[in-house]
Amino acid sequence: MDTFFKDVFKFKRRVLVVDDEPVNRRMLEKILSPGYEVLLAGNGDEALNVIKREKKVLSVVLLDLLMPGTDGYEVLEIMQKDGELKKIPVIVLTSDTSAEVKSLKMGAADFIPKPYDVADVILARIEKTIQLFESIKIVNATELDPLTGLYNKEYFMEYARSYDRYYPDRKMDAAAVNINRFHALNEIYGRSFGDELLMMLGRAISDYAGRSDGIACRYDADGYFLYVPSGHDIPDELSKVIADHETDDMRNIHIRVRFGIYPDVDREYDVLRRFDCALLACNSIKGDYKERAAFYDSSMHEREAYSERLMADMEKGLADRQFMVYYQPKFDIQGDEPVLSSAEALVRWDHPALGMISPVQFIPVFEENGMIRRLDRYVWREAARQIAEWKKEFGFTIPVSVNVSRIDLMELSFIDEITGIMEEAGITAGEYLLEVTESAYTEDSDRIIDVVKKLRSLGLKIEMDDFGTGYSSLNMLSSLPIDVLKLDRGFIKNIHRSEKDLKMVELIMDIAEYLDLKVVAEGVENEEQYALLKKAGVHLIQGFYFSRPVPAPEMEKFIKERLLYADDRKA
Amino acid sequence: MLTIEKLDELGCDTSDGLKRCMDDREFYLSLVPGAFDKKRYEALEKKINEGDLKNAFEDAHALKGVLSNLAITPLFDVINRMTELLRAGEKVDYGPLIAEMWEVQKKFEINL
Repeated sequence: MDTFFKDVFKFKRRVLVVDDEPVNRRMLEKILSPGYEVLLAGNGDEALNVIKREKKVLSVVLLDLLMPGTDGYEVLEIMQKDGELKKIPVIVLTSDTSAEVKSLKMGAADFIPKPYDVADVILARIEKTIQLFESIKIVNATELDPLTGLYNKEYFMEYARSYDRYYPDRKMDAAAVNINRFHALNEIYGRSFGDELLMMLGRAISDYAGRSDGIACRYDADGYFLYVPSGHDIPDELSKVIADHETDDMRNIHIRVRFGIYPDVDREYDVLRRFDCALLACNSIKGDYKERAAFYDSSMHEREAYSERLMADMEKGLADRQFMVYYQPKFDIQGDEPVLSSAEALVRWDHPALGMISPVQFIPVFEENGMIRRLDRYVWREAARQIAEWKKEFGFTIPVSVNVSRIDLMELSFIDEITGIMEEAGITAGEYLLEVTESAYTEDSDRIIDVVKKLRSLGLKIEMDDFGTGYSSLNMLSSLPIDVLKLDRGFIKNIHRSEKDLKMVELIMDIAEYLDLKVVAEGVENEEQYALLKKAGVHLIQGFYFSRPVPAPEMEKFIKERLLYADDRKA
Repeated sequence: MLTIEKLDELGCDTSDGLKRCMDDREFYLSLVPGAFDKKRYEALEKKINEGDLKNAFEDAHALKGVLSNLAITPLFDVINRMTELLRAGEKVDYGPLIAEMWEVQKKFEINL
């Protein structure tokens, strides 16, 4: 630190001298001006104005205590109550021993007795005070996260170790706290909103750590650690504190926070490892919006390694075209025989070492780190190209639907991207279908509806995916701009065994008829289900009963069958 | 005109006062007249006579500060005694002290 000061102490610091006596002011000015830039104030009010104006650059205030009007004690009190002004050191000028003690207790950094010491003594005291305060600021700046004021990770780990030394027998919980889809929120609502969100969470966590006798830090962009004595229900208690700190804007977009808890930590582990465990638990529920909290268990390390591997390999996977677009046919079952109507594009990963990987495994991982955006666009482009290719080969269009997420719809460039992809492939809007999950409409629905309306006005057909898993009210359903309802597979699974499920499907069919919507049933696996759905009036069927998702060449088998069927009909 | 020699002759410790002025005699001498400003002593006397000991203390205290910094020892001695009585709110007869104050002040003032 000494070397540091030798370097930075070269420039002239700014000093404010506050004294109602012109003789005293001039005398100090004379002493200080060779080494300092000296500002002068003749009373307390004048001093406060200068202090507020110069607070960022003022190195020290030399303050006379007894002055008419606002006196030095009042100035000191006002400064101590202000978070920023408090950081400026004050040296009081006084001839009374009792005043020295009082002012030091009130927060003064030092005192200079009157009559003044010789100039060198005064200069040395001022320099020492400035050095001390600047070094405190440097330490604070390095140990605290500037955005939230919480400890940074390195200092937090040190404090956690100290905590253990002070309380060697206390049972402790390590917790990791993350904001779900923070990167997406940052993109959609802007960085300043993201910062506000991080600060709010910082305040809530700091508040909670204080109440629960624990410590906290921000360890990365949207991640926080807490180290608190066991016995607290951290997810529940902290969620309540967060709710108290949230702004209306945050409440409206339903900020979700997830928790990973490593309860009653093993003291044999270093603190770093304890928080790795908490973080693993937290990451294990990434993308799973039903689970708010997860507790660490040892198998999580294996799963984490697998996710890391998938993330690391994605780039190469895209470059080497390891991601395959599969197609699952949808059949129109309204006539005597099922007829191929369209298909859904679904992605698979043919990993050279791990084999065929299901999207259930890699999509949540990619959603969390934002890579899903690139993968989605790869699938959209590939599907559009395939539609054009089949059209060229077979002379008619098999429309293909692609999945778009809520995040995609919120992107300003989305409509341009979709139209660009269609143009590039040489297909029309009527040949391309977009599947949007029901849950996408539930948050910020006005904006989503607006985008979907624009897409429909371009001629694109919109399918509402996973219908029945979200929260659309009937009222909302009637105002949503959609063309097709895709019944969630949950309704279909037991339709042949449960009267109630069948009734539910029939009810949805009535609503769909009233709203003039087509209905697709997905997840149809057997003859019984097929028959019941046909009887209920479902328009289209998708599921293993007809075909599992297949690569493009296999899909062509269905297209050829449809050609033959059409020829037969003609004959 | 007050000179360093004259101030010393009148009992001041100018070498002490000069140390606080970086030994700049001219600067020191430019400050000195402020310590004998008649109006300030008149104001102090008036407040004492009116029984306003609190404000009289503030005036005396301020003068004491200036006199001590400039090392105007004879006048400092009087004002210092007065300040301590006023600080304690002593309702004593300040007449003799005031007379002494003027006597010393005038010794300097006539040399200004």
